[in-house]
Amino acid sequence: MGRYVLRRVAQAVGMLFLVMFVLHLLTTLAIQLNGNPALAFFGDKIPSPAQVAAVEQRFGLDDPCYDQPGNPCLGPFVERLGQYAQGDLGTNLRGREVTDIVASAAPNTLRLFVMVTITWLVLGMVLGSVAARWRGSPSDHGIRLTSVLIDALPVFVLLLVYKEVVTVPLSGWAKETFGEDSWPPYWFKPSFDPEHPWATVAVPGILLGLAGSAAFIRLVRASQLDSYGGDHVRTARSKGLNEGRVVVHHVVRNSSIPVVTAVGLTFAEALSGAVITEGIMNIYGMGGVLWDAVQSSDVGLVLGIVTILTAVTVLVMIVVDIAYAALDPRIRYE
Amino acid sequence: MSAATDRTQATPSGTPLLEVTDLAVEFRTPDGVVRAVDGLSYRVEAGRTLAIVGESGSGKSVSSLAVMGLLPDTARVTRGSVRLGGTDLLTLSRKEHRARCGDQVAMVFQDALAALNPVHTVGYQLTEALRARRGLSRGDARKRAVELLDLVKVPNAKARVKEYPHQFSGGMRQRVMIATALAMDPDVLIADEPTTALDVTVQAQVLRLLAEIQAERHMGLVLITHDLGVVAGVADDVTVMYAGRAVEQAPVVPVYTTPAHPYTRALLRSIPSAAGTGRLPVIPGRPPSPAAMPAGCPFHPRCDAVRDVCRTDVPPRATPAPGRMSACHFASDIMAGREPAPEAGVTASASGGSVPEPKGDPDD
Repeated sequence: MGRYVLRRVAQAVGMLFLVMFVLHLLTTLAIQLNGNPALAFFGDKIPSPAQVAAVEQRFGLDDPCYDQPGNPCLGPFVERLGQYAQGDLGTNLRGREVTDIVASAAPNTLRLFVMVTITWLVLGMVLGSVAARWRGSPSDHGIRLTSVLIDALPVFVLLLVYKEVVTVPLSGWAKETFGEDSWPPYWFKPSFDPEHPWATVAVPGILLGLAGSAAFIRLVRASQLDSYGGDHVRTARSKGLNEGRVVVHHVVRNSSIPVVTAVGLTFAEALSGAVITEGIMNIYGMGGVLWDAVQSSDVGLVLGIVTILTAVTVLVMIVVDIAYAALDPRIRYE
Repeated sequence: MSAATDRTQATPSGTPLLEVTDLAVEFRTPDGVVRAVDGLSYRVEAGRTLAIVGESGSGKSVSSLAVMGLLPDTARVTRGSVRLGGTDLLTLSRKEHRARCGDQVAMVFQDALAALNPVHTVGYQLTEALRARRGLSRGDARKRAVELLDLVKVPNAKARVKEYPHQFSGGMRQRVMIATALAMDPDVLIADEPTTALDVTVQAQVLRLLAEIQAERHMGLVLITHDLGVVAGVADDVTVMYAGRAVEQAPVVPVYTTPAHPYTRALLRSIPSAAGTGRLPVIPGRPPSPAAMPAGCPFHPRCDAVRDVCRTDVPPRATPAPGRMSACHFASDIMAGREPAPEAGVTASASGGSVPEPKGDPDD
């Protein structure tokens, strides 16, 4: 197990490095082909060459390689890695530390992801298990129909309807019923409130999770049906164990392996959903910050945020791999 | 070998541990209802081994799943009884049925790699039922797991209980499967083709182990196999199944010396022997599909002694000798090694009626 984890971590570090390098190559090429991003600093004003030179130096864009299309600019890359190693991710165009921006935006996105993952797991496991256990029953058909309906309903439609139609009457009702200062009014607040981050992120997170849960429900159902038909389940039943125990220890336990893998894989995908959700619900998070950075050609901020997101994704992959090994001994001893 | 002494000493007396009477099982399929088992009866006594022999699809595995209450949802028992210690298991709820079987009847499955759960340790699976149903503590369970592995002669049992099924070789895995079945100290053990997935030398070891354990614990053993060669060494009684029915039931020695059914006779001829030369005789044709059962005797299209009566009348369960059963119109003739005379059909079948015509095309 120890060696397995070590190998996975080494692979992950290599992957992180590779992603950072590709990212560097792409931004370098963009600068080389697209012109000097330092100009973006001045907006509509036309700077003097001395001003441009000063800004270029400040953001590390003064290397002559940026004027030579095709040059991989290894010098600045190594320099940046050195800075990253010291925890310095640079600043945005306004001189604010990237680490500082991320530190304030990331927790909200993380809250959103926590809600999304919980929603996936709860809906997927409960509905998928019910559908598998009573296969062919009305509840099975109902759950499968629901999952198709969820698929047909895009997350932005869901969120817009929620925000424009549901939140105002619901939060009004909650205020009347539970009082101004209680928790429920915040749950249904139409926009994010930094004073109550958990309460105001919860419902948008659940809705985003709901939008992605259809695939989960079907995956859980399919993998559990696979287990129900398995010989080892028949063996467990032949021991005279009650059906509940058979389901928990031999069906759910065995079919959790593909489910955990899917959680990891969809986690990365959820970021695009986060951009939409954060935009609609005015949540100050990584998705919104990244969107603004791209809009304003803030190279330093884009690089910093994408690097951090890569690191987080790689970390999630490691966690999934370790969970996978913990769940399936055949992986551990490969 | 102990099983051999048992065979001569044991007498078929007393109440059987497990008695299956007139069992019939049907499957719902897209093509309609098919009958997989039709009127199977057998009894299992303490210290004796019953071999159920048949080709795949003959209903031998399905019948044992019915006994255990493990039939898939598409199947149901339509007739018969399975009596275990005075209770008809088929009258119980599925939950009670399985609980009773878990205590008294255990099953060894064919493919141990698939039949053991890949994500739990061998020790966990050995004692799962003991812990869940008899409340054994974790420590006691571990001790018991080691004992069970020792019992089936898995070397280094203490370390191996912590391992997973995929870390065992095929033969060792089958031993684990047997140990799992023995955990609850069952009265009857049903072994469904326990050696099919193993190579020949390992097969012999596993069979010997089963026979030893059975004799030691005075268990009733039901050995399901498609290999009559396997049966000779271990069984006391034999039930030969064909197309969901028992076609011959008898003690093991007479089955080999004087088979009373043409199917048994053909099976015996097709056992390869080391001394054999030339082509191995095979039974021509294929077993009938349960969805398209031939009229009359289900074996008649493949029978080398077929007469006209076989094509029209289902053979009765004849008793050609005490303690023997053969579902053949000409059981006595086959047992005596005679070819049935064309006119013998009238007297042997006891069905009366039409006078059979002279023998038709034997390849029919």
